[in-house]
Amino acid sequence: MITFKDVSLVYPNGTQGLKNINVKINEGEFVVIVGLSGAGKSTFIRSINRMVTPTNGELLVDDEDILKVEGKDLRKLRTKVGMIFQNYNLVNRSSVMKNVISGRLGHTGTLRSIFNLYPKEDKIKAYDNLRRVNMESKLYNRADQLSGGQQQRVSIARVLTQDPSIILADEPVASLDPPTSHQVMTYLRKVNQEDNITTIVNLHFIDMAMEYADRIIGMRDGEIVFDGPVSEVEEKTFEQIYNRPIREEDLRGSEEDASTK
Amino acid sequence: MEKNFNLPPKPNRQKKIVRNSAIALILGVIYVWAFSGVIEKVDWRFFDRIGENFDRVVPRLVDVDWSATSKVLELILETVFIAYAGTLIAAILAIPFGFWAAGNMVKSPFWNTMGKWFLILDRTFPELILAILFVITVGPGAFAGVLTIGLTAFGMLGKLYAEVIESIDMKVVEAMEANGANKIQILFYGIFPQVLPEFLSFALYRFEIDIRASTVLGIVGAGGIGTLIVITAANRDWEQLGLIILAIVVVVMVIDYISSKIRKRLV
Repeated sequence: MITFKDVSLVYPNGTQGLKNINVKINEGEFVVIVGLSGAGKSTFIRSINRMVTPTNGELLVDDEDILKVEGKDLRKLRTKVGMIFQNYNLVNRSSVMKNVISGRLGHTGTLRSIFNLYPKEDKIKAYDNLRRVNMESKLYNRADQLSGGQQQRVSIARVLTQDPSIILADEPVASLDPPTSHQVMTYLRKVNQEDNITTIVNLHFIDMAMEYADRIIGMRDGEIVFDGPVSEVEEKTFEQIYNRPIREEDLRGSEEDASTK
Repeated sequence: MEKNFNLPPKPNRQKKIVRNSAIALILGVIYVWAFSGVIEKVDWRFFDRIGENFDRVVPRLVDVDWSATSKVLELILETVFIAYAGTLIAAILAIPFGFWAAGNMVKSPFWNTMGKWFLILDRTFPELILAILFVITVGPGAFAGVLTIGLTAFGMLGKLYAEVIESIDMKVVEAMEANGANKIQILFYGIFPQVLPEFLSFALYRFEIDIRASTVLGIVGAGGIGTLIVITAANRDWEQLGLIILAIVVVVMVIDYISSKIRKRLV
């Protein structure tokens, strides 16, 4: 469970990233954060694994205030909270297997990992996770030989290999085309349901948010302006969140639309 | 389309014209001064003898004396070894210094600048001066040559390594931080795979340069073929010098060719 208690964040240059955020995210929920760019979506997500540090308030992950953890405890928090990025952030020159097993780094001793001496169960786990995203045939390919969608699937396998209880995804489909976007979101949804991993995804496509989320949180100017289950959301809600009429660029388009084009 | 359409005028046009003509004028003055100096100083009688000297030396250079082959081969091999050992020392020593001088690795600007200046300081020493210093301190011979090559190549490689490190994709580092890896793990999993092929490529390139550099180190007594060059030239043994030059040309060409082939496959 993740609890924001009056969390604020002011960047050193004076920009207010988060303003008095109060929100509770339950275990196993699939939450999509929507908002225009600059609304604070990224800052919100990155606070949870302390890639940024809020300046005020309390942020509880599994009943532990994570705003004060440092060093070893911080790394332990980060093994529990996996992250997926817009640009996949794989090591291009390394093989798919090496990228996926690097998810185990937080659980493995320094020397063991340097000499590539992973326990057998870790290697099996990495391979199993690659199978879950249907990438096992590319095991020994270099990461830069894969397409964008394939790279994002490898990065899902990497995050699963670290055995997280929470997955944060920061604009995971912003660099992908519509069919591939749906594929990646489907895998994220599947993992969320099968393993009961709390999943928080930043998106700016309204239709995708509606299709995959349990719950939608809308942000504007660092504040939460909407929070509710998908069933309560209609087009008007997004117009409120975005503070302007909905445009075509706010939609990703469905899988069928894209394939008939 | 409008016929008399003109693009809006560029800003600061007048300023640019003034600046560029000032630069052209200064360059012109320097050229005139440099060439007039050269023409004044040339000893024109040199050209009367040049044909005669060429006739005396060049045919004998081409008429290679093969009897010294084994001696020349042995020394040329020593030259290659000096370059190899020196480059190897430099290539390894430059890694920590490259990280020290890379702005994205050392967060403190003071320490980072120190690293950069240390490498600049090293690059300011000309090879032959270093070679003379080492010949004095460790005695003449190949070891002085190895140290010279090692120290000069290290400054350049350190700088090139630092530039490679500064150009890496830091997003990968971010991803590893986000999955709980510690600093050393990030170094081995996120940074080394990105930089090592380029490090190796630069080290090979430097090896090509060092082969050429080590051929002249012997002139000041730091081992290799250079010593023999000085002796044969002093004896006016042009046939043997012909063999030495031929050997150097062949070795440098072969190593350049192989190394550039390898480098192409590396990056």
